[in-house]
Amino acid sequence: MKIIAAFNIKGGVGKTSTAVNLAFLAAQTGYRTLVWDLDPQGASSFYFRIKPKVKGGSKELISGKCELDGLIRGTDFERLDLLPADFSFRNLDLVLDSGKKPTHRLEKLLKPLGDDYDFIFLDCPPNISLLSEAIFEASDILLSPVIPTTLSLRTLDQLKKFISHKKIKKLQLMPFFSMVDRRKKLHLDIMKILPEQHPDFLTATIPYASDIERMGQERMPLNAFIKNSRSTRAYLELWQELLEHLNSKSL
Amino acid sequence: MLYHFDAPGRLTTENLIAELSKKLNVQLVSQHYSLKTYFDSFDWRLYSGGILCEFNQSKPVSRLILKDCLSGQTLASADLDSIPAFAAGFSNAKIRKMLSPLLEMRALLPITTLDYTLYQLNILNEDEKIVLKIIIESYDLINSRISLEAIKGYDNALARVSKILIEAGLKPSRSSVLVDALKTQSRKPSDYSSKLTIELAPDLRADIAVKYILSHLLKTIKINEQGTITNTDSEFLHDFRVAVRRTRSGLSQLKEVLPEAENDRFSQYFAWLGQLTNQTRDLDVQLINFENYQNALPVTLRKDLTPLYDFLSVKQKQAQKTLAAKLKSSEYVIPLRQWEDFLKTPAIKKPTETEALLPIKNLADRRIWKVYKRIIKQGNRITDQSPAENLHELRKTCKKLRYLMEFFQSLYPQKKIKPLIKVLKDFQEILGDFQDLEVQEQSLKTYSAEMIEKQVPANTFLAMGVLIQNLDKRRCDTRNAFATKFETFKQRENQISFQTLFKNNEPDT
Repeated sequence: MKIIAAFNIKGGVGKTSTAVNLAFLAAQTGYRTLVWDLDPQGASSFYFRIKPKVKGGSKELISGKCELDGLIRGTDFERLDLLPADFSFRNLDLVLDSGKKPTHRLEKLLKPLGDDYDFIFLDCPPNISLLSEAIFEASDILLSPVIPTTLSLRTLDQLKKFISHKKIKKLQLMPFFSMVDRRKKLHLDIMKILPEQHPDFLTATIPYASDIERMGQERMPLNAFIKNSRSTRAYLELWQELLEHLNSKSL
Repeated sequence: MLYHFDAPGRLTTENLIAELSKKLNVQLVSQHYSLKTYFDSFDWRLYSGGILCEFNQSKPVSRLILKDCLSGQTLASADLDSIPAFAAGFSNAKIRKMLSPLLEMRALLPITTLDYTLYQLNILNEDEKIVLKIIIESYDLINSRISLEAIKGYDNALARVSKILIEAGLKPSRSSVLVDALKTQSRKPSDYSSKLTIELAPDLRADIAVKYILSHLLKTIKINEQGTITNTDSEFLHDFRVAVRRTRSGLSQLKEVLPEAENDRFSQYFAWLGQLTNQTRDLDVQLINFENYQNALPVTLRKDLTPLYDFLSVKQKQAQKTLAAKLKSSEYVIPLRQWEDFLKTPAIKKPTETEALLPIKNLADRRIWKVYKRIIKQGNRITDQSPAENLHELRKTCKKLRYLMEFFQSLYPQKKIKPLIKVLKDFQEILGDFQDLEVQEQSLKTYSAEMIEKQVPANTFLAMGVLIQNLDKRRCDTRNAFATKFETFKQRENQISFQTLFKNNEPDT
């Protein structure tokens, strides 16, 4: 089982689309896949038409009183399940803090799912907090969508510093450009410079496109309503690059 | 999880969908005409192994599905245009690995085909999210099947739809589509087995009982005849030969039961028939064993054995062709028909044969006990220096005993006779191996002489030489193990069991 977190300190950078679309492609490839919607806004739950409600809320979930398996919902797509969000997830930090070993809590909760899933995608809320630390400890890969702007560079540096400060060895940060608008000179300039400073950037980029925005209307992953477009191709490239990377490290 | 229901014949699929639509948000995903064919080996190896092999052909896609016989759960599936004859022909590794150990050398054959309309429905909630998938297979000849595929976390939808279906008169499926389809043809699964199951009453007149046993064997001969002629797989001929051999053994072991003239005449016929099949079977065995032959050689020599395979294949085809022609000739057909007529003739009121009127149980006891004693006698005479012929003679006697015990199984308590058949079977194994290894060794020597004329590469002969050496070593090992195996067979405990079960109270003869 590989755990991949779609993460960025900033909001509105395409984390949910990344988690939802890559999870869809993983399931289509034949992998048993789970998306965990950790964002109290419940966007990925919304995309899968699943009610953002968890029985017992964040307290029972984090305490381990109810097993995760009982909270999981099947999506409309084969091999793809979702653990929905709950509005109480806004207090996840507080709930984690009140327990023992808070930063290892998610890792412990996810462990029993190892036999059921090949991939778990975590759709993470923005910000950097105790929950983020728990996510970093649980994940194998931190897939970070970055909009090519100056501010993004700052937050990426912040994130890198944080990860190296916390000495989380297992975790691998994989940034990639998201919501790229090729008409904007700034985007093109930054995309040229940034990878030089950050060679860990993936080569696949996700465009700023109206069909990705349409996911909200259609309430399903992109590939489920569009068979072939610039955006679907972009997500497929991103998925293949990720998979190649994992295969090279013997998945 | 899957839940299956049967729709009563009066309820059409259209009405059922209309009924569901009244209460639920139903989405019809697809509807198309399909053909469903069940495949298995002739002797039902997949079904016996708990697998249903279903090939569903429809316009968009044709798919092979392996299902668990009991739960109906899908074990493996693949999109295929056609079904290969043998397990090795499947490109899908999962399917190949599931089927190979069950089917071995047996071919996959279509058992029965049904046409139906396949409906795929989704039940949606207020968010238009799928909460349950429904598959309806609407048949003409049997009740339609409704399968509910639960979606994780939406158990309520499953419970609700199940309730609606039961209220509409549907019942949980009790038998598979295959069982129902076969029922329309007055058949049932596993209706062929190479094992003998003959039910006899202990006081039945011996002549009637023997004819009954022989009729059973004739049925097996006839059932395997076509597959032997077409060479569908090697086991048709195998079962055909076993039935012929059992018939011969029956005729010679139960001699004083049927009229002498007929007994002699048909004994000769079945001896001829057995001979007729020898060469093809020997070659079949060589081809089946070929992989083992190769694996027993050093890696560097394995490829050199390929010309032998080609040679055997060509020879097998020729032998098979000759055999098929013979099985279509009057030489085979006419006496077999006469044999059938003879078996159908009602028993004579006052037969002259000494044992014809005996109750079959008495005759069975007497024959089995006599042959058992002969085995012990023959076995005791064999020393480490005894020639191979003595072992072959013993092997034949053992086979006679085995057939007698199998013919008359139903006359004895199963718990007592089955373990004794097993004891005998274990002992027969070593004698069988010894004989097989000798035949294989001998055949390879004969083939190599024939192959010299065919300009086969020298390395092939080298590989065959090593192979013969291997076989010879195994044969010697088997020969050396004989004494121990015989000791196990004749141990006191077994002797007492044989005696108690078969000796009866009659004086020794």
